[in-house]
Amino acid sequence: MSSATEHHDPNCLVTGNPTFESITESVSCIPESRTPLAWKIMFSISASLALGLFCLIGYLFWEGVGVWGLNNPVGWGWAIVNFVFWVGIGHAGTLISAILFLLRQRWRTAINRFAEGMTIFAVICALIFPTIHVGRAWVIHWTLPIPNQMGVWPNFRSPLLWDSFAVGTYFICSFLFWYVGLIPDLATLRDRAKTRIRKIIYGLFSLGWRGGNRQWRHYELTYLILAGISTPLVLSVHSIVSTDFATAQVPGWHTTIFPPYFVAGAIFSGFAMVMTLSLIARKVFNLTHIITKKVLERMNMIMLLTGMMVGYAYSMEFFIAWYSGNIYEQFAFVNRAFGPYAWAYWIMISCNVLVPQIFWFKKLRNHLVVMFIASIFINIGMWFERFVIVVTLARDFLPAAWDYYSPTWHDIGLLIGSFGLFFTLFLLFMRFLPIVAMSEVKGILPQADPHKSGEHHG
Amino acid sequence: MQIDLKTYRLTDPGKLGMIALVVGILGLLVSILGFTSDRTQFFYSYLVAFVFWTSIGLGGLFFTMLHHLADAKWSMVLRRISESVMSTLPLMGLFAIPLLFGIHDLYHSSHADVMATDELLKAKEPFLNQAFFIIRTVGYFVIWSLLTFFLFRNSVKQDSVHSDKLTAQWRRVSAPGMILFAVTSTFAAFDWLMSLDPHWYSTIYGVYMFTGGFLAAISFIILSASYQRRQGILKEEITIEHYHDLGKLLFGFLVFWAYMAFSQYFLIWYANIPEETVWFLDRWENAWKSLSLLMIFGHFAFPFLALLTRGAKRSVVWLSVMSCWILFMRWVDIYWLAMPTLHEHGPQFSWIDLSTMCGIGGIFIWYCWRKYTSHPVLPVNDPGLKESLEFVNN
Amino acid sequence: MAKIGSRAYGVLAEFSGTGPLLSAAKKIHEAGYKKYDCHSPFPIHGMDQAMGMKRSPIGYMVGFTGACGLLGMLYLTYWVSVVEYPLVISGKPLFSWQAYVPPVFAITILVSAFMATFGMLVLNKLPRFNHPLFNSESFKRFSDGGFFISLEAGDPKYDEVKVTEFLKSIGATKVEVVTDE
Repeated sequence: MSSATEHHDPNCLVTGNPTFESITESVSCIPESRTPLAWKIMFSISASLALGLFCLIGYLFWEGVGVWGLNNPVGWGWAIVNFVFWVGIGHAGTLISAILFLLRQRWRTAINRFAEGMTIFAVICALIFPTIHVGRAWVIHWTLPIPNQMGVWPNFRSPLLWDSFAVGTYFICSFLFWYVGLIPDLATLRDRAKTRIRKIIYGLFSLGWRGGNRQWRHYELTYLILAGISTPLVLSVHSIVSTDFATAQVPGWHTTIFPPYFVAGAIFSGFAMVMTLSLIARKVFNLTHIITKKVLERMNMIMLLTGMMVGYAYSMEFFIAWYSGNIYEQFAFVNRAFGPYAWAYWIMISCNVLVPQIFWFKKLRNHLVVMFIASIFINIGMWFERFVIVVTLARDFLPAAWDYYSPTWHDIGLLIGSFGLFFTLFLLFMRFLPIVAMSEVKGILPQADPHKSGEHHG
Repeated sequence: MQIDLKTYRLTDPGKLGMIALVVGILGLLVSILGFTSDRTQFFYSYLVAFVFWTSIGLGGLFFTMLHHLADAKWSMVLRRISESVMSTLPLMGLFAIPLLFGIHDLYHSSHADVMATDELLKAKEPFLNQAFFIIRTVGYFVIWSLLTFFLFRNSVKQDSVHSDKLTAQWRRVSAPGMILFAVTSTFAAFDWLMSLDPHWYSTIYGVYMFTGGFLAAISFIILSASYQRRQGILKEEITIEHYHDLGKLLFGFLVFWAYMAFSQYFLIWYANIPEETVWFLDRWENAWKSLSLLMIFGHFAFPFLALLTRGAKRSVVWLSVMSCWILFMRWVDIYWLAMPTLHEHGPQFSWIDLSTMCGIGGIFIWYCWRKYTSHPVLPVNDPGLKESLEFVNN
Repeated sequence: MAKIGSRAYGVLAEFSGTGPLLSAAKKIHEAGYKKYDCHSPFPIHGMDQAMGMKRSPIGYMVGFTGACGLLGMLYLTYWVSVVEYPLVISGKPLFSWQAYVPPVFAITILVSAFMATFGMLVLNKLPRFNHPLFNSESFKRFSDGGFFISLEAGDPKYDEVKVTEFLKSIGATKVEVVTDE
């Protein structure tokens, strides 16, 4: 067999010649088996951190945002950094589930379910930060056009209002997309359930799915439409997040490439997170035949690609800052690279532009340890990208007002706590739901093709 | 027009090449007349036509490299078309030569007296100077031509040799090729169009130009395929399913173009900084406003609605009509980007606009068609061809 | 076999794979049956044509809803900013449509997603937690690796014996009668 025919043999995507039943078994046995000790340990750590997050938020409500390290030039600190970071993480999930679906990249089936799960949990973490940043979180519903006795309406020209519309819509759509994808798999768990409580819960959430083609035909088109509308949505969400900065007249923030640049960065960081999580899940739950090296390699290629896009945006910003002839614009960038936050800038450049370059080499992009470490570096780098954008504001137009921004223990605690919340939700998902889209994986097996199934049958 | 179904070579390439060549030569001759009568108008019209056709060639290069990198199968039957489109890039390099003689007429920053008095432009002197402009333009075409030569040569080689090495080779070239492409096409856009207004700047400009060019290239590929279909060539090979995918691509990039255009406009409108808004103001005042409105409705709203449904994307006739329309709007786009520098008070269409478009376009199509017909019209030996022929949309 | 006192819902035939299921679906369609369905763990390519079904109308439903959402939200932004609560902010006109594009777009997508999801559930008559097919023990494998055709007793051409014979003749490995109870 030549390498080219091997290439489009779907066998490459799922190794070990599985049957439909073996796919069901290897995925369903995770929520059906006893809780592994490793899970319990990880869950207790992350749940404690999540609890810590809620305590810190309570303390914040009591004391006010003065507990953060904000100062006069830097009115937005870690809260917005964390917000943009978490929204960005979510984007890869939608990219995998929607855009790769439209592009018929079938290898996505191995990772799409938990990439989508990741999206939802990341967006939950993200939504916390602007909510608590407004200071009076109990009136956060004022961002929505709800009639009230004050006769006051929201300002539709405000980027912060766009955020609540865009991220809110993003959360709901991602959730619907994820749930629609889950229905057939929940039916599988329902049909395999042995205990009454499982039968009731999985039965309830699978909505009585019967897998008839009269159902599948609506289902498939719905899935396609959800993918179709999620694609512009995911572009719009991070574009709108970028307008928080780019609509301002602040040097270094106001630049027209921000929307696509933020989207590319979001996908980049999100892929790094999917990589981190899938390497762990693959190891802990023994899914090496479904999340194959081929899948991981392609994810690394996408990281290389998006890393280059981010690098392109960095250099365009720098070039145009010089080309504009605007001294404030030029200073903003020189200050980033050589000012008091140069350390953060160079962390960003090395993690986001240099680290992914290792994926040019086939050996390295197939090496599990290397890609795990690289994915963590990219996560760090992308957090620092937002940090650099937000915090270099410490030197604005008035040198008399210049200051140095440092986070307080509370800022750091919130970031750690948000990771706790994210992993708590993620671990719950891994424990109780099918983490691989079984029906989709079955659909790409060679015996699923009705014109070939005769050869494989028997 | 006739085809030998064993080798997939055109035994009779038809009259298209000849007609295009005649139109091209006539167009160029008339344009020379334009040069003698109105030198500045000539160079502006020439620039618009030159950028229009070059961006289609670049779109073809991008299509081909993307096809290789994504290891795409469905587009295999279209590969020869996109390869022929990109192979015009060296030819466009020749068409760049007259442009170099028009630098003084086109670019404000080439005037020594302006550079001496304008503080802002003085600061940009290291970039905006004639020598560097020429070096860069030559550099772009050298890079594009090398990429094109390599990819085309290897592709044709595959027709006679069975080798997996070729596939690996063009993938290895396409990856760094994409980086070169991104950098060169961005700076080409800055050089040729953005610096017409040397004070103005926008970081998204390069991406904006690329998106529009790729959109035009997809339209051009659709028209090439449907032209052959009407002549009875490749009817069974380029099926409705391939048109459907091309339609989706066209639709997707149409939205993507609108996204880029809106991002640029929106951020500048919102921040309202005079040094930036002036560029849009030039295009929103007096008669230019109607052209700006045409851009919103003609380059986005109308084709968006017209291509929204599945049926529209699966109708070859409708897709061809829309492709013509989008190519026309692409020309309007470049005209809208370039011309307000010359005609401040509103668009003044000139017969030189038409003659330069026909001149460069005729030669472009003739050369593209010649490249296309001198080899088998499908990559007959590619192992992915079979899958592409059988490809069906979900 | 049917229990005494319970009505038959129809017959359930099992097939060995996607290929046999697809060819059986073609034959059953050609034989003129109407109330039947092909159950599989994943959607099968070409099944819609085999069963002679048209494309789902969801696309048009979503398109219409999206258009309503777009116009509705555009009107809301207009009404709020121009009529009900006019405020001049950063010197921009009251109806600055550019700035309303993000929320209008978001709402358009939101209502479309709701329509796609809930429209699908309504067309599929879901949720429905109790269904005669769930009485069959072997039907449970449809979500694992089993392929089934169910033919309802309500079909005008239904005749238990004949249908059983017919299904066996088109490749069913096992045929059983499913009851309401």
